[in-house]
Amino acid sequence: MVVTAVVAVSLLAGGLAQWLDYGAEDGGHFAGYLQRIPVVSACRIGGAVGVIWLGWYWLKLARGITSIARRLRADNIMNSPFGGKDKAKASGNAVINELTEALSEHLGGCSNTIGRLQKQVNDLQIQIQLTQRQKGHIEAIIYSIHDAVVVIDEFDRLLMANEAAGSLFNFNFSTSQHKYIGELIGQSKSEFADFLQQSRQNKAQPTRKEIEFSENGEPKTFDCIVSCIYDQDRQICGAVAVLHDVTREKEIQQTKNDFVNHVSHELKTPLASIMAYSEMLADGEAKDSQTQQEFYSVIQSQAKRLNGLIEDILNISRIESGLIKVDKEPVSLTILIEEQLKMIKSYAREKGVSLQDIGKSRVVFDQVFADKSMISQVIVNLLSNAVKYTPSGGSIKIETEVDETADIARLSVIDTGVGIPENEIEHVFDKFYRVSANEKQAKGTGLGLNLVKQIIEKVHDGRVFVSSKTGLGSTFGFELPLATREVVESLPVKCGG
Amino acid sequence: MSRKKVLIVDDEIHIVHVVAIKLRNNDYDVISAENGAEAFELACSQKPDIIVTDFQMPVMTGLELVEKIRQYDQTKDIPVIMLTARNFAIEDQQKEDLQISQCLSKPFSPKELLESVEDILYHRAVINR
Repeated sequence: MVVTAVVAVSLLAGGLAQWLDYGAEDGGHFAGYLQRIPVVSACRIGGAVGVIWLGWYWLKLARGITSIARRLRADNIMNSPFGGKDKAKASGNAVINELTEALSEHLGGCSNTIGRLQKQVNDLQIQIQLTQRQKGHIEAIIYSIHDAVVVIDEFDRLLMANEAAGSLFNFNFSTSQHKYIGELIGQSKSEFADFLQQSRQNKAQPTRKEIEFSENGEPKTFDCIVSCIYDQDRQICGAVAVLHDVTREKEIQQTKNDFVNHVSHELKTPLASIMAYSEMLADGEAKDSQTQQEFYSVIQSQAKRLNGLIEDILNISRIESGLIKVDKEPVSLTILIEEQLKMIKSYAREKGVSLQDIGKSRVVFDQVFADKSMISQVIVNLLSNAVKYTPSGGSIKIETEVDETADIARLSVIDTGVGIPENEIEHVFDKFYRVSANEKQAKGTGLGLNLVKQIIEKVHDGRVFVSSKTGLGSTFGFELPLATREVVESLPVKCGG
Repeated sequence: MSRKKVLIVDDEIHIVHVVAIKLRNNDYDVISAENGAEAFELACSQKPDIIVTDFQMPVMTGLELVEKIRQYDQTKDIPVIMLTARNFAIEDQQKEDLQISQCLSKPFSPKELLESVEDILYHRAVINR
């Protein structure tokens, strides 16, 4: 009896201790909130209750046996000197029968109890297996999430973190579990720890914040969402944070904003002239017909400029999205260059820049398979850029050559202009990029060279190139694949305008 | 009363032209410059009553021009109207620090610009009286 009671009390105490100590080690990597599901503890408590129950039955059985023994003893005392042997025997049989019945009744009860307990133990074992499997699944899911996941308890101690979180906050989860989150996360990232703790303390609905800190020395932006964790009694027992890296999205957003700013600025400039001149005409501020004519002319030229800008933007957009209509044919680069030189000559003369005639450089007889109007646009953009950034007294020359080994034609526009700083060369073909050192030199949209790159590389599978030295000048150019003999022969050749 | 002198600074020649006509038609003397550096020279030598300048210009921007003229005694009190095609290009604090009287967004109305010039010069005259 005493042994049974001791065992029972021990088991019960053990079970209760297990129940209360939900942060025990046996949870492994799995979070405390799942440890609070008292599967193991319930099993132990159930066992202890079963043992107590058995003890109670044994006690009842012992009492029954004691009572019968007392009665037998009393009967012997009363009957032995005066009663007959038959009476005594009959009385003994009745007691034995009663005893047997009581025993079999108790044994039956015990057997049922043991059976029930066995079934409960089996059920509990199945539940443990199921819980462990669920735990494994949840663990695998959380570990496979690309975003960083951090779980804390109601005392702000780390309960769980996946690899991404470990990498981001530079800690090892297995050695950091149950440590205070504020201590684990360094000062440089304390904004996150503060936000996590505050969200849990405020018992708020899921809260969201963009947090910036550096990862491997690079500035990054994270979209951090913190949700409180509730137990079965709807009490907050911790918080879970998910950090999604939105650095790229932010960059794209910034690029879009810059694009809109640039476009609106570039569009507004000619629009400002158009609106001002038309208002002046409407208000009768142009006093004579000559002034009126001048105003109309400005409106017309600014409208053309506006249209050109819109066309450039749309062309870049169409090329990028693959929606532009391309009309390729075998064309001679030499003829296209001659045509564009005629257009740019007056501008160069106005600026005092000498323009070397194409006739002095090698004529490219070979043809490229290209969209004539697009390549003309490329050549005029390169030439006008060269004139724009070459001071008075400078010169521009055009070189063409054919590399028959590589089957390409190459065009170079070489100027003696202001040049481009080395650290900016790689960006000159970027959309809206303007060389900061030269921004004050001349006006521009930052679209011209980007359009050149798009036309040559995306539409014609060619290559653009640039080399430059500050103060000495720049060379911009492109390479285009030569039209194959089959293509030239299969199409009617159209040269020039 | 002597005619007021306005310095217009913009690298967009058409804008300078149209503003100049509007102001001349309304009895102002107009001088012009294509960039901030040129404008500063004119501001020092010609002492205009007001400067109307573009924000984004080659060589020296509108903001750099205002910063510079605020540093010299002979130019520091000249009121300035800034024209800009970029929204939010100038912060309120910056506007206050540099004593920019008004910012007008491009596209702007020449009539509206004339009214601004008149208002600013009128208030300046009242204060100086």
